[in-house]
Amino acid sequence: MSKPKILIVDDDPDLRRALRLRLRANNYDTVHAPDGYSAIAVAQKEHPDLILLDLGLPAGDGFVVLERLQNIDSLAGVPVVVLTARDPQNNEERALKGGAAAFFQKPVDNTELLDVIRASLTDSRTPGIRPS
Amino acid sequence: MSDQATRVLLIEDNPGDADLVRLRLVEGNSAVEVNCVERLADGIASLGLHPPSVVLLDLNLPDSHGAETFRTVLAHSPDVPVVILSGQDDEALALKAVHQGVQDYLVKSDITSKQLERAMRYAVERQGLLRSLEITRKQQLEFKNQFLSHVSHELRTPLTCIHQYVTILLDGLAGPLAPEQSDHLKTVLKSVNQLHAMIRDLLEATRAESGKLRVEPRCISIGELVQQAVTMMRPIAGERQIGLEIGLDNRIPLVYADPDRILEVLINLIDNAIKFTPLEGSVIVRACIVEADEDAVYVSVSDTGRGISPDAKALIFERLYQDPNSVDNNRSGLGLGLFICKELVRLHGGKIWLASDPGQGSTFTFTLPVYSLAKLLSPAIVHEQRLRDNIVLVKVELTPPSKTARGNWREVWQQALETLRRCVYLDKDLVLPPIGGSAAAQTFFVIASTDLQHAGIMMARIRGQLERNQELKACATLVISAVPVDFAVPPADTSLDEQVQAVANRVTEMIMCSMTGQPASPGNGQAASNSIRQVQSIPKESS
Repeated sequence: MSKPKILIVDDDPDLRRALRLRLRANNYDTVHAPDGYSAIAVAQKEHPDLILLDLGLPAGDGFVVLERLQNIDSLAGVPVVVLTARDPQNNEERALKGGAAAFFQKPVDNTELLDVIRASLTDSRTPGIRPS
Repeated sequence: MSDQATRVLLIEDNPGDADLVRLRLVEGNSAVEVNCVERLADGIASLGLHPPSVVLLDLNLPDSHGAETFRTVLAHSPDVPVVILSGQDDEALALKAVHQGVQDYLVKSDITSKQLERAMRYAVERQGLLRSLEITRKQQLEFKNQFLSHVSHELRTPLTCIHQYVTILLDGLAGPLAPEQSDHLKTVLKSVNQLHAMIRDLLEATRAESGKLRVEPRCISIGELVQQAVTMMRPIAGERQIGLEIGLDNRIPLVYADPDRILEVLINLIDNAIKFTPLEGSVIVRACIVEADEDAVYVSVSDTGRGISPDAKALIFERLYQDPNSVDNNRSGLGLGLFICKELVRLHGGKIWLASDPGQGSTFTFTLPVYSLAKLLSPAIVHEQRLRDNIVLVKVELTPPSKTARGNWREVWQQALETLRRCVYLDKDLVLPPIGGSAAAQTFFVIASTDLQHAGIMMARIRGQLERNQELKACATLVISAVPVDFAVPPADTSLDEQVQAVANRVTEMIMCSMTGQPASPGNGQAASNSIRQVQSIPKESS
């Protein structure tokens, strides 16, 4: 079985690099996008198994990306984990209602993040649980 | 012309006085429109319909007397300037009114037109000034809160980067580390975590100040929370060779509190205690009940530090307060922790205080309300001073299909709870607060003051509403069941409180049995011979 592929969307190149290192060390493949527009383009081309999404992004913020993803048939079932510096009090509910599987505020505990990524991937691979 | 006229609302019941004031008003140079009413109720109505420039107010009216009169007007229209028309005998009261927000007072017998005109003009001006100051203050507060919220967001981005790379190095993802390198990196990580805590505090304090802190109380064991907090803080205490102990009363009742928030309070207090206790000192966390106050559980954190001076004691719960004597502590934090603790405890309906003497250590104590099912139940099951005839316990079980992402399940669960609350009658039903620790519970209980047949209708409503939720539909199975609460018809001489308590005890018993999977033993009344169970697996295929 091939490694699950995760799309990392974040406008901070240093953080993208750090997340790539962390995820690859945990046996995931990664692809990357620095803004909202390319996030959709890369997702369509690469068909990731999960998307790690920042909210504050140039060229279409995270909420726009979430909405676009829901409207693209081939991507609507891909779990999205939000990782943002923004306040959960104003954004968590909105993100989860917008289709995100989980919400984390930066800085995040790596163990928690990896646990949720693993759980989200399991859920999305079990047929019939998430609406396809 | 009439646009510039001063609109005066004169509230005065004595026709002679009213005529006199009216005459004085007309004698003056400026244009006035006078509306005169005799009763306070009419005055209040007029205030709402045609807000005047100024109110001239007699304190003794047919429907209101003395201080009550001006308090009612001020409460109703805080922005309209009020001038009191007092008699000679109630000048003291008029002066008191000025202290409470009335603009001025005039003694009726000495009123001249000039004096009246001047008093009204000044009252209007002063009120306008006060209002603009208040608006400015609110704007500044709002600006400050927005600024702090923005700053804490911007600080998180670089902090996240530092955190990620330090943990990458520490976890050996960039190659093996020498022990010394690893030690240094651990120090960096500790500082990063401190910085993170400060940023969090900054945002929490901002929220507390603007009234945006929220607590979600439920029924929890404070003993478990204390254990959890102490386990989390033990490594930090260990570093300073400080003993961290627990003293729990054997018979502490459950409390009604938000476990995440109270854990935050405990950690804050324990962290402070460790910080201000010298090496090899000790910190003890206690929870107990006090005979004189049986509605509360007392939780305290004591240390063997150098204590806190009386001066500092008075200010310690204020925002940004720092102990000026903490010279030996180069990292004392922002001074927001205790302020946040105070606000969180207050939101739970408890209080927090400090007992300390210099050299004798300090004890911070806070109270939390005891979880009283009887108190919660009472409004739903008591009607016209007696127990309702039928009471049913409805159980709603939600099962997630597998290990769902934490954020997602929590959200679904929260939505389900809100949906349930919309499905019941507020005056006679009650959705019981979720039971258990911080992990989201999966079983909800509803008390319905109705018979089993009507409970069936409620269950159908609950099921219908829950199924309309797409998230729930996608990821949960649902079982709803109902059992009558079989309580014995109380003897005539039992007090209502005792009756409610008896029902509460029976409900508790039934919930306990149901949670542990045992069949409920019959209560004091007739055995529960009938019950409804509706098993509903929400269809997995989306329609």
